Amino acid sequence: MARMKFLCDADRCIECNACVTACKNEHEVPWGINRRRVVTLNDGKPGERSVSMACMHCTDAPCAAVCPVNCFYTTADAVVLHSKDICIGCGYCFYACPFGAPQYPKVGNFGSRGKMDKCTYCAGGPEPDFSTIEYEKYGSNRLAEGKLPLCAEMCSTKALLAGDGEMIAQIYKQRVIKRGYGSGAWGWKTAYRETVAI
Amino acid sequence: MRRTLTTFRTLVAATILTATVGASSTSFAQQTRDGLNPTGQNPTAESVNEEFLFKQDPKITGRISIPDGKAAHLIQPAGRDYRDFRERWLPWLSALAVLGAVALLGLFYFFRGRILMERGPDTGRKILRFNGFERFAHWMTSSCFIILALSGLNYIFGKRLLMPLIGADAFGVVAQYAKFSHIYLAWPFMIGVALMLVLWLKDNIPNKIDIAWIRAFGGFVGDKHPSAGRFNAGQKMVFWMVIGFGSAMSVTGLMMIFPFALTDITGMQLMQVIHALIGIAFIAGILAHIYIGTLGMEGAYDAMGSGKVDLGWAKVHHDLWVEEEQAKNASGPQLGRHQVPAE
Amino acid sequence: MKAFIIALVVAVALGTLAAMLLNQQQRFAYQAFSTSGARVSDPAGHSNLVGPHWNGVTPDPEKPSKS
Repeated sequence: MARMKFLCDADRCIECNACVTACKNEHEVPWGINRRRVVTLNDGKPGERSVSMACMHCTDAPCAAVCPVNCFYTTADAVVLHSKDICIGCGYCFYACPFGAPQYPKVGNFGSRGKMDKCTYCAGGPEPDFSTIEYEKYGSNRLAEGKLPLCAEMCSTKALLAGDGEMIAQIYKQRVIKRGYGSGAWGWKTAYRETVAI
Repeated sequence: MRRTLTTFRTLVAATILTATVGASSTSFAQQTRDGLNPTGQNPTAESVNEEFLFKQDPKITGRISIPDGKAAHLIQPAGRDYRDFRERWLPWLSALAVLGAVALLGLFYFFRGRILMERGPDTGRKILRFNGFERFAHWMTSSCFIILALSGLNYIFGKRLLMPLIGADAFGVVAQYAKFSHIYLAWPFMIGVALMLVLWLKDNIPNKIDIAWIRAFGGFVGDKHPSAGRFNAGQKMVFWMVIGFGSAMSVTGLMMIFPFALTDITGMQLMQVIHALIGIAFIAGILAHIYIGTLGMEGAYDAMGSGKVDLGWAKVHHDLWVEEEQAKNASGPQLGRHQVPAE
Repeated sequence: MKAFIIALVVAVALGTLAAMLLNQQQRFAYQAFSTSGARVSDPAGHSNLVGPHWNGVTPDPEKPSKS
């Protein structure tokens, strides 16, 4: 089985936000819930870089560890998913997540902010694949169709890579060697405890 | 003459132009070599990278085009530290505090036994110790505290102890209602703490009598009973623990009820750590309070149960307070007569 | 005993009141994180991307309107 990862090549990302839009449309994510977002660093200064960020599907995921109701599980493809039936919306996963991935449908107080929502790597949830209830709770299940996450699939500059960790690391390495520079695999050290060594 | 000058000028201009174009075209050819930037700079030299940004700040923050400010944090590895605290340290610390308190109280009960009432001339007569409103404030706070403590411990131990017993789905429902009770009963708890502060503050100012009481180990060791006013030093400690821990829990709890209202992700993690640590210390302290108020000392429970304690017991444990009450009330402390409440 | 029962009743009442007040100030993410340019409801409102006071007429290019 593959070990699915995301890699954003910040030297290619042009902050077009198409990944964000694709994600919203594919899963019909409501306004205000950002499963994926693009953060611009050093905005307006020389050396500005943009990074598209979502759940990184960490190795030994901190969100899953701190969850007081153990609603997270990891699939055979190492995708970190959760059950909205068990989630109590406590928000601990947001405190533990290094990437700010968990989102809540209600804002204001802790009491009733609803079930947590996050990037599913386009892999749905615990419900049966392609069922209506799965779509309503978690969005579409592209992985079960044999497709990769839509954000990476339709990235206009192919900055965002999704797929087996070793494969996308190899693609990124080739790029860096070819063009002679690269600002690194953002978040990999925190998420996977490894970097792409060039 | 004029014509010659014009020709010369044209020649000079043409020479300069040719020279310039030639020079620039050669340099252009050099710059467009494969892999080199046309400006002659290495684009990586100025670009930001993770290591550089982490040296400046423990979390990487950028600009975001969505109105949710929290999303501007790109990476915050401190989440891993928070997880280490919550999953590696907190369960052991809480188990140690709660079970340790129970074990110590068990040992105390085993060796010292129940502190029995001493029979005396005043045994059987009653004196009002806490009026109805005081008992109301106490019980409102304490009943909320028990629910808050249980639902709070559920955040730590629920998935370890309860979940394997009843299954994930049932536990999800239990935890959801536990969470609701934790958020909503926090409000009567906070009001109760504030009420108790107002009611009992003036009787809980530490003074010289308390030092003597502590020197005598509060009468727990030996047979002598040190003097005490309405509250002895031990009770004052419980009072100030409830006020101190209660307000710390209230402040950190309010910060968590309204997440990100006043602080960012680092602040929220800190609030959670403080809330959890003080919470378990609070539970351990209150366990001792419950023990001494019920099982540990005969006659003590009546103070909060019916509000009236045995006069003999009161004279032994709170001699100065009884004197004060009797001086205040010439008709004597017996019940059934109209009297000024103990407050 | 009476004080104890009253305390329980009041605690539950205050808790319910707190629940009601807290739920009242709760907003959906699409309400909290929307800006004036965002259309999050009925598209027939014609306020998408042009502000709520748009009258449906394209402004005259010779007289640029402050919008």
